[in-house]
Amino acid sequence: MRKNQSVIGNFDWPLFVAYILLLIMGIGTVYSVAFNSEHPNIFDFSQKYGKQIMWLGISLLLGLMVFLIDSDIYRKFAVPIYLFVLSLLIIVLFMPPVNGARAWLGLGSMGVQPAEFAKIGTAILLAKFLSTAKIKQQSRRTVLAANGIILLPMILILLQPDAGTFVVFTAFLFVLYREGISYDPLILPILNAMPIKGLHFKQTWIGTHFIPILFVVIVLSVTTLLFSGSIISLGFIGVEFDGYWGVFFFLFVICAAGYFFMRMIFSRRDRNRALTISVIAFVLSVTLTSVVNYGFQKLAGHQKERIELVLGLREDPNGDDYNRNRAMAAVGSGGLVGKGYRKAIVSSVRTNHVPESETDFIFCPFAEEWGFIGSLILVILYLFVILRIVMIAERQKAIFNRVYAYAFAMILFYHFAINIGMNIEFAPVIGIPLPFFSYGGSSMMSFSMMMFILLKLDSQRNDVLN
Amino acid sequence: MNFDGRKYVFVIIFTLVGILYASKLFYMQVVDDTWSLRAQQIAEKRREITPPRAVVFDRNGKKIVSNKTYYNLMMVQKNITELDTVAFAKLIGWTELEIRERFAQIVKGEGRYYNKHSGKTTSNYQSIRPYPFIKELTADEMVKIAPHLDNFPGFYKEVTSMRNYPYSNGANILGYLAEVNQREVDEDKFYKPGSRIGRSGIERFYEKEFRGTKGIKYIVTSAMNNVVGSFENGKYDTIALQADPIMLGIDIDLQAYGEKLLKNKRGCIVAIEPSTGEILALISSPNYDPNLLVGNRKIRENYPGLLANPDKPLFPRPLASEYMPGSTLKLLQSLIGLQEGVIDVNSGFPCNKSVVGCHNHPSASNVTDAVKMSCNPYYYAVTRKIIQQKKYKSSYKDSEYGLDRWAKYLNSFGLGKRLDTDITGLRSGVIPDSKYYDKWYGHHKWKFSTIRSISIGQGEVQLTPLQLANVAAIMANRGWYYTPHFVKKLNGDGPKEEYLVKHQTMVERRHFTPVIEGMRRVVYELGGTARRARVEGVEVCGKTGTVENYRGQLKLRNHSVFIAFAPMDNPKIALSVFIENAGGGGGTWAAPVASLMIEQYIYGEVKPSPKEQRILDAILLKKER
Repeated sequence: MRKNQSVIGNFDWPLFVAYILLLIMGIGTVYSVAFNSEHPNIFDFSQKYGKQIMWLGISLLLGLMVFLIDSDIYRKFAVPIYLFVLSLLIIVLFMPPVNGARAWLGLGSMGVQPAEFAKIGTAILLAKFLSTAKIKQQSRRTVLAANGIILLPMILILLQPDAGTFVVFTAFLFVLYREGISYDPLILPILNAMPIKGLHFKQTWIGTHFIPILFVVIVLSVTTLLFSGSIISLGFIGVEFDGYWGVFFFLFVICAAGYFFMRMIFSRRDRNRALTISVIAFVLSVTLTSVVNYGFQKLAGHQKERIELVLGLREDPNGDDYNRNRAMAAVGSGGLVGKGYRKAIVSSVRTNHVPESETDFIFCPFAEEWGFIGSLILVILYLFVILRIVMIAERQKAIFNRVYAYAFAMILFYHFAINIGMNIEFAPVIGIPLPFFSYGGSSMMSFSMMMFILLKLDSQRNDVLN
Repeated sequence: MNFDGRKYVFVIIFTLVGILYASKLFYMQVVDDTWSLRAQQIAEKRREITPPRAVVFDRNGKKIVSNKTYYNLMMVQKNITELDTVAFAKLIGWTELEIRERFAQIVKGEGRYYNKHSGKTTSNYQSIRPYPFIKELTADEMVKIAPHLDNFPGFYKEVTSMRNYPYSNGANILGYLAEVNQREVDEDKFYKPGSRIGRSGIERFYEKEFRGTKGIKYIVTSAMNNVVGSFENGKYDTIALQADPIMLGIDIDLQAYGEKLLKNKRGCIVAIEPSTGEILALISSPNYDPNLLVGNRKIRENYPGLLANPDKPLFPRPLASEYMPGSTLKLLQSLIGLQEGVIDVNSGFPCNKSVVGCHNHPSASNVTDAVKMSCNPYYYAVTRKIIQQKKYKSSYKDSEYGLDRWAKYLNSFGLGKRLDTDITGLRSGVIPDSKYYDKWYGHHKWKFSTIRSISIGQGEVQLTPLQLANVAAIMANRGWYYTPHFVKKLNGDGPKEEYLVKHQTMVERRHFTPVIEGMRRVVYELGGTARRARVEGVEVCGKTGTVENYRGQLKLRNHSVFIAFAPMDNPKIALSVFIENAGGGGGTWAAPVASLMIEQYIYGEVKPSPKEQRILDAILLKKER
């Protein structure tokens, strides 16, 4: 009796309510986009909205099961679960390809995508591994094993091929960062092997912050490539300048802002360090972007073309640019308050100007129908969910729970940032669903299960110690 | 080690990305309208609907120009699947080769896009766009094709409208429509390539009044360019408005009768209602059926033949052909002489054939008889008195002064300048003044004797049949005229305002009385030149003209000219008749034609008579000499 009370009492209602809100908005958008006047009933299972509701029902059922089962089983069966999803990823490679990828298990519309469920298995095993009491965080074995857990499913997913989910899996690397996994065990031997006398590192800044640095480098490089070739035109003040100077200016602003931010939070004694860090960061990032820019200009024509295509810089009416261009038109035409529910024009399935507008590009019809107000609410709701999960993660006593929560937060953040980002030119066009929103059973089920596992773990946070 | 501080890295990244995304969304959706415009470009199409052109009625409310439904056989290449060329060829009555050629032609030409800035024309053909495969099919032709179109996906019919002329008369008045050229498309947004525009006649002059108001329909199109529905339930759509019917002053029966009379003759008739200036009939012969030039197909078929015809049926003679007026000018010489005071009503001049040739008749002892007998020496004398008024010692200077006065008089009769008639293709004729002869002979190098042939309407004086008909109307009105015009009612109102302005000539009303009496005697008295112009029960006033003409040194048969109005008091109709190379005098051919026209107009019909039969039977077309 007491235990039951504590379960209900520890249940995180705000997160659950936000989750339900997203689900309702998602179903509503699918109904709007895929509306078929011959089957107006939202529960018509021959239509996508009917099916989506069915998937939602199944997901909630799974969620209820998750809640009834003691959360201990994830710790106990972490390895079998992981192996199970891995075997699914292998089996799927022998399935007939759908749209050029062997991603579907099962037949017709009832198929599932094992890659979606692999996220759960990976998150659980990673949590299990990192929570194992006496892992030596600085050992080479730990680093390799932790990365291996992530890398194995990634390789199988790349074989399908499913580039989107592959990219999403890199989210787990940030979890390693949060848990303090340093890459020094891999970097130090190389550095120390260099025949420079008297040089011996015990710890490097790069190794400690390897993952964030790696991503800053990637983001800066992509940004450079995106902007350096173009002309930035500030219409309202009538100034035009070369794209690279825009990147330069952007870096300067970021570093200056970072300096003042650090001055604010650092103690008086450390203020000089803030300036040093900012200047070093600025010099390093400028060097990096210059090298990338220079290297890109020196590339052979076809290589350059390929990169441009991937980044959507080259106008290719049948390629990525077509989708993005129409997606941006749909989003941008929403205006402040939108065109009204079920009044999307560009992104409705009837006109079909935006392909995949009920799955990967579902943000388009939503933004077109609800305008900036709706888009802002959606962004805030997602941020709330993600930050709430971080908050939940930080209140866990058990490392297992914390790692799992961070993994979930990072996966959600990736999906959110890439999916919405590709509608607004902030991310390359990668086909991944918007969690709880996009039409599709697999993502609906896997995200819901992750959600319920987290809620369950959180509700039992006081019961476990490790 | 404790890594709890690292949670801030996550919180900061998440928050920053959220803020960045929200800002970009705000910029894209609220601040910048680039993407809204792009969305319109992608999904919304403006479809313009051109209304049928205004219908035209004659003065009695008979519909003379209407619109008829035609069909275009449209095709969308993308939707064509497994075209059975043999069956399709059989259906539309073409050969397979023709079908293939037409396809090639459409791909190459129909989607032409002219870039104004680069001046280059490039093919803009798109397989998802509709193009007309066959244009302008009649309802009869379409009835045979339409039921089978379901077997040929990608083909469908489209309704269009074109002109239809229930009466095959008045082609030179009505004009025809043709497809716009690139310049017209550039100048006026109303037109799109393929639109039709009035190319001649009143269709051209009143183009804006004829074309109506376009309707605009906003539609939502899919990525495949299919129409999905109307935009916002047609909230912004406008309806195509056909322009109000236009009523002409033309009497279509009179017009048709005149064309019948002039069959097998080269010439023209212009009839005007003197009290209003409305043109009752304007006949140019040889003529053509306006239905021959309806639509591209027929224009392509018939236009070259009409253009090559040596009798120039496309040429609007009454407006653009400049003839010497011959003796009809004597009316005006009399009026000017009287007004200038160089003669009076009872002035007589001997018929002195040594000065200028004349036919046998007693000498005229007054103006009235001079008109009746059309005495050449008399008018030689009168005109010399007008031109050389002895105001200057130098006869050269005197002639200069007199000729300019004379020219001014004639200008006030609407001669020597272009009338503001509501039609295109008008010419001004020639009334020579001092500047004109200075160019020929040099300043003060000419005098009356140099230019004397103008006194009997030969030589340099030229005018159009329309102008001469207007002179007849001025005679009928005793000194004033409204500019002759075709359109009687525009937009349910009267004619254009400029046609309600009375033009006064420089000759006073009282001087017309003796001249008009002369015109009556021309028709009714022994010794008059046009007894064939009589009409039972109507008092006709007229004046003949016999115009000598040459081609180079070769003397051709005379033109037969007649002007008349009737009845003498309260005139209802004034007209001019020219029969080219008819031989004989004005009384032989032109006068009886005029009388038949008057009879038709006054009584609404013409009693069969030998006079009418003689005109109908006459073939004067081939005889020039």
